[in-house]
Parts: sequence; C-alpha cells; structure tokens
Amino acid sequence: MAAASSASYADSLGRLNLRGVARTWELLLLLTARDVKLRYEGTVLGLLWTLAKPLLQALVFSFALGTVLRVKFGEDVPYVLFLLAALFPWTWFQASIQSSAASFSNNAALLKKVYFPRFVLPLSAVTSQLLHFALSIPILVLLLAVAGYYPRPTWLIGLPLLTAIQLLMLAGAVLLVASFNVFLRDLEHLVEVLMTLWFYLTPILYPLSLVKDRLGPVIYLNPMAPLIQAWRDLFLYDQLPGVEIWPALVFTALALVAGSITFKTLEGQFEVAL
Amino acid sequence: MRSPYSEQEVIILENVSKRYFLYPHRVMELKKAVLHLPSFLKATRARQAFWALRDVSLTVRRGESVGIIGSNGAGKSTLLRIVSGLAPLTKGRLIVRGRVSPLLELGAGFHPQMNGRDNAVINAVLLGLSRKEAQEKLPEIAEFSELGEFINQPMRTYSSGMYVRLGFAVAVHVRPEILLVDEVLAVGDAEFQRKCFDHIEKLRRDKVTIVLISHDLENVKRFCDRAILLNHGAVAADGKPQEVVDEYLSSPSGFAAAPASGADS
Repeated sequence: MAAASSASYADSLGRLNLRGVARTWELLLLLTARDVKLRYEGTVLGLLWTLAKPLLQALVFSFALGTVLRVKFGEDVPYVLFLLAALFPWTWFQASIQSSAASFSNNAALLKKVYFPRFVLPLSAVTSQLLHFALSIPILVLLLAVAGYYPRPTWLIGLPLLTAIQLLMLAGAVLLVASFNVFLRDLEHLVEVLMTLWFYLTPILYPLSLVKDRLGPVIYLNPMAPLIQAWRDLFLYDQLPGVEIWPALVFTALALVAGSITFKTLEGQFEVAL
Repeated sequence: MRSPYSEQEVIILENVSKRYFLYPHRVMELKKAVLHLPSFLKATRARQAFWALRDVSLTVRRGESVGIIGSNGAGKSTLLRIVSGLAPLTKGRLIVRGRVSPLLELGAGFHPQMNGRDNAVINAVLLGLSRKEAQEKLPEIAEFSELGEFINQPMRTYSSGMYVRLGFAVAVHVRPEILLVDEVLAVGDAEFQRKCFDHIEKLRRDKVTIVLISHDLENVKRFCDRAILLNHGAVAADGKPQEVVDEYLSSPSGFAAAPASGADS
C-alpha cells in the first residue's frame, strides 16, 4: 500500500506510526496535567489535599484500631508508619481504578466526535494518581526519618521496580474496567463497593503474617497482598521484593493481556453504545 | 504493493458498507441482565440490521471541495464519521491520505473548568498537532476566535457563541489537509458565520480538501466543485453541484426534505 495514513495517528491498517506515538505520549501528559490541575480546583489547600487525605485517613484508622479497639498487631514499628507505608501505594491503586472506570462513558461527546487513541483516557487517570503518589513519598520519607528509619540505596531499585509493576497492573485493569463500563454502567458503582472489600482483604491495616497461617495459600489469590507487603518491606525494612511477589506478576500479565484484548474488541462498538 | 490510485486521490472508498444493529428491547443494566438472562440473550439475538451505507465507492482528489447532500437518514453523517476514522467499516476498504480535521461538533472535549488557552492546546493535540505546534498556533487561534481577555477565563464563563468560536478557531488552525464539515456552520452570529465561510474559502484556495455536509443547497453550489447525492445509503448522483442539486430537488424525497434545514446528527 502506498504511503497511506488515516486520522493522523495510525495508518489505514490501524498501526501506530512513530509521529503518532509521540503525539499519544504528549496527549497523555496533557490530560494528566489537566486532571491534576482540576482535581482540587477551588479548594484552599489545593494540592496539599493529596497529602492530607491519606494522612488524616491513617490517623482515623490508628485511632479506631489502636486506641478504640486496642488491636495488637505485633510489629515493632509505630502503627501510623506501618499503615502509611501500605496506605499510600494502595490509595494510588484504588483511586486509579475508581476514577478511570467512567473515563470512556463520561467522555462520550469527545469519543464520538474526534478520533484519537482512546486508551489515553483511562491511562491518564492512572498517571495522574501516580503523580499524587510520587508527591506523597517525600512525606513518608520525612515521617520515617523522624522515627529513625532512613532511606537506603535499596530504594533506588525497589521504588522504580514496584512502581513499574503496579503501573502495568493498573494499565491492564483500567482498560478492562473502563471498556466494559461503556456497555454496563453498573460497573462503576460495583467497582466502588468491591474496592472497599478488596481494601480489607489486603494486608494494609494489618500485617500479612496475621492472616498467613489462617488463610494459607488463599492469600495468593489476591495479587495486591504480596505487592502491598513488598511496598511495606521496602519502606520499613529496606527489603527488595523476592519470589513471593509472583502472584502480582502473574496478575499484571493477565490484566495487560485481558485489558488490551477487551479494549481492542469493544472499541469498535463504543460509537454505538455511547 | 502498488496502489492503483494516484497520489492525487486523498480519500478513497471502495465498496464501503456500514451496518448498525438496532436492539429493540435491550437495556444494559446488570440487574436485568442477570435476573432475566434468557430473555436478555434473546433480545441480543433479536437485533435488526440497518445498513447506513451500502456499497459506496468514491474518490476525492486533493484540493477538491465536495458537498454531500441528501435527505435525513441518507447516510451523510455516517460517511463523514467513516472518513474521520470514528466509525469502523463493516465491509469495503478506506484509504485516507493526510491530516483529517473533523468539524463534526465544535469544541467537543472542551473542559468547562479550564481556561480557553489550555483547552485550545488540548483540543489541537486531540486533532493531531504536536504540543509545540499547538502552542505556536495559540496566538492565531486566540485572535481568530475574538475572545480577547476571555481566553484566560475558565470556559464555564463563556457564552455558547464564544464556545463555538474557539472550537472553530482550533479546528481550522490545525493545518488540516482534509477538512470534514458537518452542518456546524449554522451556529454563531451572522458576522462570525461569514468569517468562517471566508476562512473555508481561503483553505480551499490553499488546496485543502474539503468535504461538507449541508442542507443549505445554496452553500453547496457556492462552495463546492462537486456534489454527491446520497439516498438510503447509496450514491444516487455525483457531479457538478448545480446538476446534482437539481436532481435532488426533482426527486420526491428531495422535494420533501429541501425546505427543512435542520442538522441531522
């Protein structure tokens, strides 16, 4: 076929060309920036809410569990730090999935009128949440340092590694959820409830060791359990993730395959369903 | 593989058909889907095929401006959506060479909370410019839209006319090689409408390929080198605007549809 290019992002076979890839990337950055800019529009504290929310949440949890219920969790780390080391990465995970679920269905006008690589819409929700997560890391470092836990060189490997795993996992998951949500709007509401359940099933408020004996291999059905544990081990104990993280890797691979196949299959019918 | 078409042919449709399905009883709700699974699946099967385009073959040459006319439901908008890449084909082959700027709805994707400037940049990137190009075009876009200081205000403060002006300004400043216009010019005040047509006239002189849907047959005669009449999804006539318009008006459906000039999207 002669030099044929359609809609300027892809040639007529639907393959992305090089210029298209660059522009897709810029679009992702612009949408991420817009998301961040608009999130706290009109609030006095602005971007500070990104930090204040999980911090206040951690205080509520530590008050409820530590002071009211007096839960013994059997670790030598202050509970608030124990909690925050898991809560910050979890917040990125949960907020990404919740805010991206409706990213196709809420942009019907745009999707029906302009052709562009549509997968950037749910992905920009993930990347803007990643930005909020990145901003929360200095706060965590500061609080850890106050308690005597200092950042170590292992972080230089651990942080990008775990970030990459979680980013890829989210990319697959949000494509899946957002694509299905176009046809089944119930999903965005269902997801909200399921994420709360998932939160309690994941060792965030409690250590993995607390449920390991009781649940045994069932834990491996939850890919977030080893991932959250890996974040915590990195922040608190300077440990790099080991082989026990495999459920997260398997889930990431499955999510990426399922997400891209679902999106590819359903994208053609967006124009009818939206 | 050598293309049988010359480089001068920028839009090529080969036996293009587009089918939509109508689902008479289907409601997409989880509760209903689960509780009434058998009937839900039956409703999915009991769909009716509707052919919006049937076996359409046509080519548009570089720099040509083509008017698409026809009564409501003839397939005009579907044709434009297919060329812009928004609607996948059911059958046939489509080749489009060059940057397409669809003026299907002005300002689709503008975010009301963001200012005009930021919205214009995102919109221009959505339409195919790089961010750098979009920022370079910004002064021209701002001037053309006549928004003045409002360009820095959130778009929720805009009147609908201002909204459309910015949308049009972005769409025509992305250096389109192929401009698709779907009846959108029936908006804005008379002054701005004239400016839009002047600008389209200028793009036409610059050898931009234009495909225009209009119910305003006078506009088709004035702006187009060629007109195509669609009837029930098929090409009914293709040729000089005056002749095609006459044929449309002499046909029973055309006579009925001509006085009404509403948008059909």
